[in-house]
Amino acid sequence: MPDGSYERPQQRQFNPYSENGGTILAIAGADFSVIAGDTRQSEGYSIQTRYAPKVFRLTERAVLAVNGFAADGNMFVKKVKQRLEWYRHAHAKDMPLRAIARLIQTMLYAQRFFPYYVYNILGGIEEDGTGAVYSFDPVGSYEREACRAAGAAQSLVQPFLDNQIYFKNQTPAPGTNHPTHLPLPDVLSIVIDSFTSATERHIEVGDGLEIYVVLAKGRSTQELASIGGLQELSTRAEGDRMFVIRRDLKKD
Amino acid sequence: MNSFADRFSTTGTAVEQRRIKEYVADEEDVSDSMWGSEAGFGTIAHGTPNFMVPTVPDPSAFLRLHTDDHADPSCRIKIKHGTTTLAFRYQGGVIVAVDSRATAGSYVASGTVKKVIEINPYLLGTMAGGAADCQYWETYLGMQCRLHELRNRERISVAAASKYLSNLVYNYKGMGLSMGTMICGWDKTGPAIFYVDSDGTRLKGDLFSVGSGSTFAYGVLDQGYRWDLTDEEAQELGRRGIYAAGHRDAFSGNTINLYHVQQQGWKFIGNYDVSEMHYNGPTGTAGYGYGVRVEGRSSANPPA
Amino acid sequence: MDISFALTGKGYVLVAADTTAARSIIKMKSDEDKIKVLSPHLLMAFSGEPGDTVNFAEYVERNLRLYHIRHTYPLRPASAASWIRRSLAESLRSRSPYSVNLLLGGYDTATHTPELYWVDYLGTMTSVPFGAHGYGSYFALSLLDRYHDPEAGLEEGLAALRRCIDEVSKRLVVSPGKYKVKVVDKDGVREIEL
Repeated sequence: MPDGSYERPQQRQFNPYSENGGTILAIAGADFSVIAGDTRQSEGYSIQTRYAPKVFRLTERAVLAVNGFAADGNMFVKKVKQRLEWYRHAHAKDMPLRAIARLIQTMLYAQRFFPYYVYNILGGIEEDGTGAVYSFDPVGSYEREACRAAGAAQSLVQPFLDNQIYFKNQTPAPGTNHPTHLPLPDVLSIVIDSFTSATERHIEVGDGLEIYVVLAKGRSTQELASIGGLQELSTRAEGDRMFVIRRDLKKD
Repeated sequence: MNSFADRFSTTGTAVEQRRIKEYVADEEDVSDSMWGSEAGFGTIAHGTPNFMVPTVPDPSAFLRLHTDDHADPSCRIKIKHGTTTLAFRYQGGVIVAVDSRATAGSYVASGTVKKVIEINPYLLGTMAGGAADCQYWETYLGMQCRLHELRNRERISVAAASKYLSNLVYNYKGMGLSMGTMICGWDKTGPAIFYVDSDGTRLKGDLFSVGSGSTFAYGVLDQGYRWDLTDEEAQELGRRGIYAAGHRDAFSGNTINLYHVQQQGWKFIGNYDVSEMHYNGPTGTAGYGYGVRVEGRSSANPPA
Repeated sequence: MDISFALTGKGYVLVAADTTAARSIIKMKSDEDKIKVLSPHLLMAFSGEPGDTVNFAEYVERNLRLYHIRHTYPLRPASAASWIRRSLAESLRSRSPYSVNLLLGGYDTATHTPELYWVDYLGTMTSVPFGAHGYGSYFALSLLDRYHDPEAGLEEGLAALRRCIDEVSKRLVVSPGKYKVKVVDKDGVREIEL
């Protein structure tokens, strides 16, 4: 430099990512699927909002939960919905669940060298009427499972689910077997307990809980009758039906 | 100062930048790496898919900064990593065995991963390294193999399929792909295994093991391997190889998936719990575990 | 990188170590003995930082010899192992710690039991039926899980050891050429040609 000082090379790094806390969870039953997420959105120790949904209705029978970096998550859901709309226009029907799963894989993998920082869990009803859950990593590897927790409190919730859904480390009483699928009321209790417990022990979880319930066509809605805060989202009474249950979680 | 020269140069970082900028400008909401795009009418006949790349001087350094949990365990995006896989050729075909654990850092992200990718009824691919990389590219390979069949009225050879994959990943060398895979199958030449990785290495061979637990698998595999193994012996060796890795390597475990490739194509033999193998073994009578096997035996040698 | 293996059998412990002494990319010597005979029934394979290894081994050798002279009987393997471990642990907390990894094989003449201890430079000690240090451990441990037998005769034990050495020669990029093998049993210590 003219004044005799040296100009130092400057280095900057591009960091377009943040982490917004929260936890999502999905459980598949024999003919239903439950997808849930808390509604707190935070960054570091600050709560940005107490109501930012992380669970979204995609079709009459598919629900997507996204967790991680909220901006990426919202953009991703927007793009998935757009692709599903195009599909509807082209084929005059909703995309089947397993096809949505593959679509999500390719959409995530398209960002392989600039990933979306999001963990996705897709839940819903397959074409054969069974409940299904698909879980994804940020760059699109996916797997169909019976249950999955992701996000801030995944390491608190997943072991509980392994124990209560898969009956891991439990021995059945002599002459009996563990059920392969749990009934809906049991699943709902497990989901609610998961979130109330995660709220107690994880600072990024709390405020509100949204539980989406997708029931296969023709299935009785009887078990939901006594549930408080229930709202039906399905547009047709025949076909698969979708409900959302909104509950409060602790706000401290 | 050199902006004029930069603008017309054909080498150097400026060009790279310009190329990427053009790339991004061209990028639509649907890149053709998303199959079945264009409203679902399919784009598989197009060339190689293209990908969104960040507009930074060094995109692969950017990716590494955010995703490489080996270099920096606190990085944000933890890409799932696969772990122990093995395959070997013998008199009766090919045995493919893998574990099912996926880890993100030290968290067991899944214990039920399918690390054998069924490319088509005659071809299997294994998954080690980035789970998404293996899943995506081996599925893509499956599509290309099907197109080969349609165009040539003949199944693709294992050699050709593996070469297709290795050329493909070689195009992305240095960009951060991570995969170590074995393409296994049966073609006109008989049983075949090719090891293909994201460096672009492609090796033909009789016996491979890939992943963090591979050394432990090799230890058992090499010592028990013979060309004239019977089918039962071969399957047992595959199981024991993965068991050994599951036992000794913390990043491997949960369950074993076992496949057998013969002339008629591949067959899924079974899923075996590693802990179950440790205590009871596949038949429920003899556990693989050292402590189980030598129970009651002692090195003490008191005079009679 | 040094490689050492050890395993117990019916009434004996086998200890093997490679014989290469390397500096940078050069093999300085190819018949170096890295297994010290500490007492009539105690062997120690050592590996790690060049310089530290021999120095520590000799320090241990002299002290155990001194104990033998003072008391007229040697330390039993378990006691010797404890003393050696503590020496390493104290060294670790000193200004210049030894970085030496050990396999201690001994025969307890009082209980007629062969004993093997795996010890690392941090002072971690564990009693094992078989053990290994260096890159060889990545291949040999799974192999010995499969083939080791606590009641194996000497020939069977040597066969298992040979498997380990063959496996390392087959798979390790920088595998050493030769090994020295020693055995300790009720009759004391002797060297064995593989």
